[in-house]
Amino acid sequence: MREHVAAAFADFRDGFGDWRMWLLLGMNDIRQRYQRSRVGQFWITLSMLVTIAALGGIYSYLFRTSLRDYLPHLAIGMVAWALIATLVTDACTAFTGAESYLRQVPMPKTVFVHRMLVRNLVVFAHNILIAPLLYATLGVRPGWPILLAPVGLVVVTVNGFWIGLLVGTLCARFRDLPQIVGSFMQIAFFVTPVMWKADQLPRQVSWVVDANPFASLLRLVRDPMLGVVPDGAAYLTGIGLMLAGFAVTIPFFARFRSRIVYWL
Amino acid sequence: MATISLDQVTIEFPIYNARGRSLTEELFRRTVGGYIKSDERDHVSVVALRDVTLDLADGDRLGLIGHNGAGKSTLLRVLAGIYEPLVGRAQIRGTVASLTDITMGMNLEASGYENILLRGVFLGMHLNDVRRVIPEIEAFTELGGFLQLPLRTYSTGMMLRLAFAVTTVVIPEILIMDEMIGAGDAAFVSKATARLNQMISGSRILVIASHDMEIIRRFCNKAALMEAGRIVSMGAVEPTVSAYLGAGSS
Repeated sequence: MREHVAAAFADFRDGFGDWRMWLLLGMNDIRQRYQRSRVGQFWITLSMLVTIAALGGIYSYLFRTSLRDYLPHLAIGMVAWALIATLVTDACTAFTGAESYLRQVPMPKTVFVHRMLVRNLVVFAHNILIAPLLYATLGVRPGWPILLAPVGLVVVTVNGFWIGLLVGTLCARFRDLPQIVGSFMQIAFFVTPVMWKADQLPRQVSWVVDANPFASLLRLVRDPMLGVVPDGAAYLTGIGLMLAGFAVTIPFFARFRSRIVYWL
Repeated sequence: MATISLDQVTIEFPIYNARGRSLTEELFRRTVGGYIKSDERDHVSVVALRDVTLDLADGDRLGLIGHNGAGKSTLLRVLAGIYEPLVGRAQIRGTVASLTDITMGMNLEASGYENILLRGVFLGMHLNDVRRVIPEIEAFTELGGFLQLPLRTYSTGMMLRLAFAVTTVVIPEILIMDEMIGAGDAAFVSKATARLNQMISGSRILVIASHDMEIIRRFCNKAALMEAGRIVSMGAVEPTVSAYLGAGSS
């Protein structure tokens, strides 16, 4: 077991060291998706903008709130949620989507987790362009708390790493897991305050948000961008999730790292 | 000094039927306990390599021969470090290049130049080192202005030229080949052959699997005959080749 753990850590180290490779692969994923289309990768921003405009119009009516109050909450929330949700669903194909590479070249497996993270961070970078647009049109100023947004992003990304490794490996072995993960994230979307606000919940069901780690991750990215300092509990949950995640994933990866190629 | 040492390596591929691969089924089985009979679990696996022991050192040029499905490609993948054996031990010392799929990592939408970088990085080169060899690749491939166009505008032969040129730019200590790679038209073939020979002679250990006995005779000083995942005989080239050909005709 000890040498398995050593091999796993070597994979972590070499995988991170191969940054040229995963940067290139991740960027290429995006480029390939939008090549030869007129506005290119700005389709990402555009389609997010359309979704937000449609949802914002309807739900500000439904919730009887002013658009000026609701739209920033929804827009930044959707952008942050898109990152969190696709990190989880994209994790499913981290290894199965890299079959052609993994079966030809001995590469650190974690390279493909980093590639998945790069791909999703690039998408996020395009989506977040909506924020300044929003600030300008609605005259919102987030102020200094916005400086905390990168911290939240780091917490989300590091959590994305262990999720990618764990879910990616499991999905290589169990091929119907991606469908289950997909439905799971669908439900997670509805029980996480993306479209609604946590304070709209009656007290007796507020545990839905309190016990939901996705809600904490979401706050860490969204709140600073709305000019609110996230409360300490959100940071504690985010970091606790990280520690717990790695505590499970490291032994798991050590045990199954060399099997991944056999399952592809 | 490059060495390869395999000690009783066995490679087995589990074949999960639709049921074995499904998590729902796995959970169901766990919760319902012995309801589903154990013989219905269908644990089928393909043994691709059986008890393979092999030691190679500097100067060894090993030819792998055997029928389709004898385990040649699996053995090459073990030597390349792709399959880490779960049974037995494999120790490979030295830089390895596997020329099994020379176009791997190339992107049809990217330009020729971008693909040189892409492929170079896949071969473990630093970006700056790749940039340095670009003039050499330009000269070798003779692709000229095409290098600025996306790869999808290339013919198969042109793409192979490019892949070949980048792949053969670094000389590894251990060279692994699945069949001899050939590329392009007559004029290019002679150039490519010269370059490949240079690569082969520059490497410390060569392992090549081929169905072409001429290739085995020309490049190898040892041969191993494989059958159903085992190395059934290994030694000098000529006796091994004739054992293979003899077995085939009888």
